[in-house]
Amino acid sequence: MQGGGDRTRGPRRHLMQDEKPSARADLFAGLAFLAFAIAIIIGSLMMDRLERLQATIYTAPGLVPALLGLMLAAMSGLLITRAIRGGALVQALPAFRPAQHWRLAVSLVLCLGFALGLVGHGLPFWAAAALFAGLYVLIFQFEDRRRDGTLARGVMFAVAYGLIAGLVNHHLFQDVFLVRLP
Amino acid sequence: MLDGLAGFASAIAGFLKPLPIFVALVSSLVGFMVGALPGLTATMAIALMTTLTISMPSHLALLVLVCTYVGAIYGGSRSAILLNIPGTPASAASCLDGYALAQQGRAGHAMGIATSGSVLGTWIGMFFLALFTPVLGEMALKFQAYEFFWLAVFGVVISGNLTGNDPLKGWMAGFAGLFIATIGQDGLFAHDRFTFGIFDLSGGISLVPALVGAFGFAEVLTVMQEPVRKAIINAFDSVIPRFRDVAQYWRTVIRSGLIGTGVGIVPGVGEDVAAWSSYAAAKRASKEREKFGKGSVEGLMAAETGDNACVPGAMIPVLALAVPGSAPAAVLMAAMLIHGINPGPLIMVENPTFVYQVVAMMFLASIGILIYGLTLTRPLIWILQFPKLLIMPVVFVLCVVGSYAIAQRMFDVYVMLAFGVIGFILRRLNFPMAPLVLGIVLGDLLEKNLRRGLVLQDGDLTLFFTRPISLVMFLLVAATVLSNVPFIYNGVARAWSGLTGGLRRSG
Repeated sequence: MQGGGDRTRGPRRHLMQDEKPSARADLFAGLAFLAFAIAIIIGSLMMDRLERLQATIYTAPGLVPALLGLMLAAMSGLLITRAIRGGALVQALPAFRPAQHWRLAVSLVLCLGFALGLVGHGLPFWAAAALFAGLYVLIFQFEDRRRDGTLARGVMFAVAYGLIAGLVNHHLFQDVFLVRLP
Repeated sequence: MLDGLAGFASAIAGFLKPLPIFVALVSSLVGFMVGALPGLTATMAIALMTTLTISMPSHLALLVLVCTYVGAIYGGSRSAILLNIPGTPASAASCLDGYALAQQGRAGHAMGIATSGSVLGTWIGMFFLALFTPVLGEMALKFQAYEFFWLAVFGVVISGNLTGNDPLKGWMAGFAGLFIATIGQDGLFAHDRFTFGIFDLSGGISLVPALVGAFGFAEVLTVMQEPVRKAIINAFDSVIPRFRDVAQYWRTVIRSGLIGTGVGIVPGVGEDVAAWSSYAAAKRASKEREKFGKGSVEGLMAAETGDNACVPGAMIPVLALAVPGSAPAAVLMAAMLIHGINPGPLIMVENPTFVYQVVAMMFLASIGILIYGLTLTRPLIWILQFPKLLIMPVVFVLCVVGSYAIAQRMFDVYVMLAFGVIGFILRRLNFPMAPLVLGIVLGDLLEKNLRRGLVLQDGDLTLFFTRPISLVMFLLVAATVLSNVPFIYNGVARAWSGLTGGLRRSG
């Protein structure tokens, strides 16, 4: 299969948000999709065929998922083959530098913590949203504030911002949009 | 034609009341601001607004969504011109000449071109939306299971081929979406599939929380992984559109409007492809080809007309076939279903005025963008310089509220989180999201019609390939797939150049 790179030559290429991943990344993606496709096929084949309800092979609930699983498996195979031809097996694994990913990790932890830990567990929504937004701003501004010697102001700003964000969101959605909040 | 005009006039008259006008102006403004801010996309804005307008009357809720959609696609041009960063993927083509004009101190002129191009593009698309939807709807009444099956396959294949830059990954995302649509009870026997005993999964994966995750939460993670820098903006001149630009490039405007609308009609292929196609066509036909990429008024006009014409274009298959023409249109379709409007071939029978109401909504949105295009220049700079760090936690709060609001259950919040994380990983691996979304939307159509066709013919597949429309769709799918196989692609290219070379020689 062609990579489709032709269409991204020239000016469009540098504007694409997603850079092309390495052949090794493609290999892992292909393997993950292949495992997913095999799981779908196995799940579909093991599914009740409902013969007692006069279901035929064409109306069996697992028919379409099994066909989709087969298609996905075939395409994963092509992606794996393409990645191997592209040198996935001879490429060295890039060194993992946790420091480069701290922003992503912190963002993920804060978002998951808010959605799974704070919301829907008895805390009023405005308070949960205020805590999340304030903490988010404080953590991501922490380094700059400490360097500039404005940490105390940063804390006050984060608290104020969190409260405003939480209260505005809460009242806007509950009282204006009439949306039920978690 | 006259019926259509009367329908449009009556729909406009219905909206000319203080509340709808206020709602249209506010939601166009929200769309404009969201579109202008890089990292916040039109799809995300519409998905969030869908959940927030759930308790509104249907005509007002859809007015909000349509105005947000049009406003967001237009708003993307502002950051493309001022920052060289497309506010939405639809405006990537506008960066080339828009930013070049801004660097020459003509950012105001560029914004004026974007405004006139966007408004004219919307109007051209609106015209074809009103004209084609009834015709396509009537044609679709002849569709049977075989045609609908191929329509679903065609949508996923063409969307996978044209969005992103790797067709194989686009198709994989599309087929994964089709599979996701099969999770939950099957349509014939209500048998639980892939639910693992989780009660909430029996109803399937709801589209809106999945979209909010894939386009909202994933976007938050994408934006926050890099340090956020303050925007630096060039000085600019007057933003008032110049009639001379439109008069000089009227051919480009019409061509781009037609291309944009046409691309919009193709399932799952959105505004970014429309803008690039219009831009490429304008460059090919231009007498000032050398100016493209260096501040060409014609290039910017083409890109902006094309992407905004795509918006009404993408609504044509939504209304006539219940197949979305772009990712934001998929959300709009879901919103229509939530509000009790069933798009599809029967819409002209059951609810014929609705098509003209959508056209009228587009018109109001175009007036909104015209007003904001002329007036909101200074405040826009403040919006563009507003730190993303302060926006992202609020966006995530909206993602949580929005996912929960649809059915008031935490399960949808968990779906949003899962799709956000998976969507982020897939995007990093260069898998496009539009085919995945289209797959989730079209999965039900594909499954129902494949099973129906098989049952009707007792497993005989002949009619899937021999009925005229089915055959055309199958050939289109096959040609799309085969055009990506290198030796076939190269062979056809060689044969074509041999043929044209021979003709030239003999001429």
